Amino acid sequence: MAAASAITAVSGVVLPQTFLSHRSPPPQVLAVASSFHRLSLCASHRRITHIIPRADASAEAGEPEPVTTSAESEEEVAEGSVAVAEAEEPTPPSKPKVKFGEIIGILNKQFIEEAEKVKTVPDLRPGDIIELRMQRPNKRRLSLFKGIIIAKHKAGVHTTIRVRRIIAGVGVEITFPVYSPRIKEITVIRHKKVRRAKLYYLKDKLPRFSTFK
Amino acid sequence: MAAFLRSKCSPVGRTLMGSLGNSLFGAANSSVGAITRPSHCDAISQQIRTFIQMRTNLKVVDNSGAKRVMCIQSLRGKKGARLGDMIIGSVKEAQPRGKVKKGDVVYGVVVRAAMKKGRSDGSEVQFDDNAVVLVNKKGELIGTRVFGPVPHELRKKKHLKILALAEHIV
Repeated sequence: MAAASAITAVSGVVLPQTFLSHRSPPPQVLAVASSFHRLSLCASHRRITHIIPRADASAEAGEPEPVTTSAESEEEVAEGSVAVAEAEEPTPPSKPKVKFGEIIGILNKQFIEEAEKVKTVPDLRPGDIIELRMQRPNKRRLSLFKGIIIAKHKAGVHTTIRVRRIIAGVGVEITFPVYSPRIKEITVIRHKKVRRAKLYYLKDKLPRFSTFK
Repeated sequence: MAAFLRSKCSPVGRTLMGSLGNSLFGAANSSVGAITRPSHCDAISQQIRTFIQMRTNLKVVDNSGAKRVMCIQSLRGKKGARLGDMIIGSVKEAQPRGKVKKGDVVYGVVVRAAMKKGRSDGSEVQFDDNAVVLVNKKGELIGTRVFGPVPHELRKKKHLKILALAEHIV
C-alpha cells in the first residue's frame, strides 16, 4: 500500500489498488483534477466586443437639436400612439401559405395549357387506335407510328401512353410522353371496346389483335 | 351425354363408349387449348424483361445460317447487354449448309431486346423478343439480310450496315 502511494506521489499516476482501499479518491487525484480544471479555464477563448459610438447626421452637420417642453412632448406621444392604432386596424388577413405540392400542380397546369396551344391533344383512353406523327432528331420529315394504346400513366405534364403494334411479325411497344414537343400530331382513328385499364394481355393474344394496316 | 349413354349400356358397350367419350373430350380440350393459348405466344408470355446475360437465348434475325444463339459473354457493362450492345454467343441451333454451324462461338449485335430502352426525347422502346445479328470481331456482318424491325439507336452505335439492310426502322 505504501509502495503504491509512493509511486503515485512520484509519477502522478494512480494505481487501481489505491481505489480499492479508500472510498473517496486520494488527495493527489483531486489535486491533479483541479489543476486540469484550471488549465481548461485558462485556455478558454473569450470574444471581446467593442461598442463603437456613431454620431447622428444632424450632429455631423452641426445643427442644434430642437428643445421641446415636457407638455408638448407628451401631446406628440399621445398623437403618435393614436396614429399607430389607426394604422394597425385596416391590416388585411394574411394569405394562406401555398404548399410545395400545390406549386407543382399550378406549374403542371401552366405547362399543359402552353402545350395545348401548340397542338390539341385528344381524349386518349386504353383501347384507342391512334396515329402519332413525331419528329425525329436531325430529320425534316415526320415519322408515323400507328398502334393501340395499352396503358396510360397520368402524371400532369409527364403523362405517357404506351402504344403497341406488330411490325413484321414482331411486337413493338413504345411509351410516348403526350405533351412532348417532338410529337406533332395525335389522331384517334377508332376506339376498340375494352374492359381493362391496362391491356397487357394483348402480349399473349394472337398477333392480329395488335396488327393495324 | 357420353356418361348417360355409358350408364345405360352393357359392360362391353360401356367400355367402348368410355373410350369414345374420353377421346372426344380429349380432342375438344386440346382444340380449345390450341385456340385460347397459341403455342407461338408461350415464349413471349414467359419472356423475362431484363438484361441479356449469360445463358440468355436469342433469336438470330439474319441469313447467316444460325437460328438460335445462347449468350456466353456480354461485352458491355457489369449486369449485361442491352439494345445495340455486342455479345459473344454459342450457336445452339443452325440451318444445314449455313455460314455458321452448331457449336460455333460467334459475336453478335443485339438488335431487339425485351427490356425497355429510354430515348433522348423521353420515349421508351421495347420489343417482344430478344434478337441478334451475327457479326465478326471487326463488327462486319456475316449475313446479307436483316429481318424484322430494328431501332434507330443502332445509328449511335455505328452499326449503319444493319440499319441499311433492315426491313423496318422503329
